[in-house]
Amino acid sequence: MSAFLTYLVSGVAIGCTFALVASGFVMIHRVTRVVNFAQGTFAVVGGMTTASLLGRGLPHGVAEVLAIVVCGVVGLLVGAIAIGKPGTPPLASLIITLGLAIGAYGVEVVVFGDQPVSFAMARGATTLGGAHIQWQYFLVMGATLVTFTALALFFERTYVGKALTACSSNPYAARLAGISVLRMGLLAFALGGMLGGLAGVLITPLQPVSFDSDAVLAVNGFAAAIFGGLMRPGTALLGGLVLGVSESMVGGYVNASYETEVALALMLAIMVWRSARTPVSVEEAA
Amino acid sequence: MTGSVTDSATGRRTGRPTGRPGTRWVGGVAVLVVAAVTAVLPLVLSTSHLLVYTELLLAAVVTTGVSLLMGYAGQVSLGQAAFYAVGAYTAATMSLHGVPRLAGLACAPLVAGLLGLLVGVPLLRLRGHYLAFATLAFQLILLSVIGQQDSLGGDIGLRNLPRLGIGSHEITGFQGYAWVAWTALVVVMLVTRNVVRSRPGRGLRALATSETAAASSGVPVGRYKLVVFSLSASFAGLAGGIFAFFLTYIAPGSFGVLLSFQFVVMAVVGGLGTLWGPLVGATVITVLLQWLNGLGTQPGMPAYAPQVFSYAAYAALLVVVMLFLPRGLVAAGSDLYALVQRRLGRAPADETPPQGP
Repeated sequence: MSAFLTYLVSGVAIGCTFALVASGFVMIHRVTRVVNFAQGTFAVVGGMTTASLLGRGLPHGVAEVLAIVVCGVVGLLVGAIAIGKPGTPPLASLIITLGLAIGAYGVEVVVFGDQPVSFAMARGATTLGGAHIQWQYFLVMGATLVTFTALALFFERTYVGKALTACSSNPYAARLAGISVLRMGLLAFALGGMLGGLAGVLITPLQPVSFDSDAVLAVNGFAAAIFGGLMRPGTALLGGLVLGVSESMVGGYVNASYETEVALALMLAIMVWRSARTPVSVEEAA
Repeated sequence: MTGSVTDSATGRRTGRPTGRPGTRWVGGVAVLVVAAVTAVLPLVLSTSHLLVYTELLLAAVVTTGVSLLMGYAGQVSLGQAAFYAVGAYTAATMSLHGVPRLAGLACAPLVAGLLGLLVGVPLLRLRGHYLAFATLAFQLILLSVIGQQDSLGGDIGLRNLPRLGIGSHEITGFQGYAWVAWTALVVVMLVTRNVVRSRPGRGLRALATSETAAASSGVPVGRYKLVVFSLSASFAGLAGGIFAFFLTYIAPGSFGVLLSFQFVVMAVVGGLGTLWGPLVGATVITVLLQWLNGLGTQPGMPAYAPQVFSYAAYAALLVVVMLFLPRGLVAAGSDLYALVQRRLGRAPADETPPQGP
C-alpha cells in the first residue's frame, strides 16, 4: 500500500510538470495555431538558469523568478522569429521552432556546459500512510494547482485573456474588434515560455536536466496537450496526470526501463484515436 | 507550407519536360557530368575525406526519402533515423548470424519498408504536426527498445560487424563503400524520379495540397500516403544497411533524434519536392559542417566549439531557408537562372515566369 502511495504521488508530481509543459503548448497553439517545438527548450533553459543562478549565490525565490522571466524573454524571441514574418504557415513555423530548438543547444552548451545539472529546492521528506514522500513533490503539485487556477482566471476574467481567446476562435473577427493578432501571438509565446520555464524550474530538482533533455520533455508535454486537442489547458492537466501516473505505475510495478515507451505509446494511441473521430475536412479547414 | 511549396516547386521539375526541346539535352549532359564527377571523386579523395563523402551520399539517400515524403505527400517525418537504425540493425544481425552479407543488405530496405508499412497504418491517420510528433515518438520508442535488447547489444551496440562482400571477396577500403553508397543514391534517385513522374506521383502532389480534393478526384489517398511512407522508410533502411557494413559498429546512440532533424534540415535546405534538392542539401550541409569543424578545432578555440558551431549552422540554415527561401536552394537557383535568361532576352516567349514564394 505504501509503495502504491509512493508511485501515485511521484506520478502525480511528474504528471504536473508534463501538464505545465503542455499548458505552454496549448497557450501558443490556441492563439497562433503553431505547435512550438521549442517548448522543451524553455523548460531546459528554466532549469539550467535556476541552477546557474543558485550556484552564483542568489537566494531561492529570486533565482527561480529570474529564470522564469528569462524564459519569457526567450519565448518572445522564438515567437518573433517563428510568426513575426507575415504569412508564415503554421507547419513552416513548426520547422522554424525546431531550428531554434537546435540553435538553443549551442547557446546552452556555451552558457551552461554540456553536463546534466540539478539543484535542491524543497529539502527533506515526510511520511504519509507509511510512504516516504519528498517535499518537492508537494511543492510541484501546489505550484501547478496555483498556475492552472491563475490561467483559468486569466482567460475568463481579464481583458487580455479574453483577447487571446478571441484570437484563437476567430482571428479575423478579433482584428475587426481592434485586437492585434500578431501582438497577442507574441504575448502567447512569452507566456508559453514562462510556463515552460516554470515546468523546468520544478522538474530539475526531481530529475537532472541537460541541454538535450528538451526532446523528451517536449514529447511528454505534447502528449499531455493532445488530450485537450491542443486547445484546452484544463484537459491538458488531466492528460499530464494520466500520463505521469501511468508512467510511474509501469515504472514501479512492471519495469522501470519501460516508462518512456508506455507513455509514448499511450500518446500515439490517443492521437490516433482522436484523429479517427475528426474528419479530414474539418482538420484541413482549420 | 505543403500546398504552395510543392506544387510550384515540382511542376517545373517533374511534370512533362519543360523548356525548348533544344535545351533539354543540356540538362541530360549536366546529369551525366555530375554522375561522372561524383563517381570519380573517390579515386582522388583522402581517407578522411572519403569517410565524409560516403556519409554525405548515405545522408542524401535518406534525405531523398524525406523529401519525397515531405515534398510530394506533404507529410513531415521527424523520426526517419529510426528506419535508418532498422536497416543498420537488420543488416548487422543477419550478417552476424551467418546470412550472406549481400542478402543482409538486401533485407535492410525490405525490413525497414515493411516496418514503415506496419507503423504507417495507424500513424498516417495523423497529419501535420501530429504526425511530426508521432514519428519522433516512434523513434524514441524504437531506440529505447533496441537499447534494452541484449541480442542487439543493448546500449553498447554491435561491434566487429563483417565487411560487405561475397564469399571471401570483401570490400575493405573506404573507396569501395563510397561507390556502394553512390550506387544506392543513383538507384534511389531513379526510383524517386519514376515514382513522381507516374500517375500515382501526380496523385501524390494533389493530396499534398488538399487530401479532400484529391480524394474527390479519385486518388486513393490513404494507400498512396502509406506507399510513400514505406518507400521513404526503405530508402533510409538501405542507407542504414550500408552504414552498418561501412563503419562495422552500430549503437542506439548512432541514430539519435538529432540525426532525424539533420535529414529534415537537408531536405528543407535543398528544396522539398525536387529530385536534386536532397543531394544539394546534403552537400551544402556537409561541406558547411566540415568547414565549421575545421574552424572549431583551430588552436585557441574552446573544446565545445565544433559542436556549438554545428548546432548554430543547422539552426541558422533552417530558419533562414524556411523564412526566405521556402522552396529551397534548388528552386531558388532555377529561379535565378530563369531570371538571368530573361534579362539577357534569351528566354522563349512561351515559358511561364517562375512563381514567387
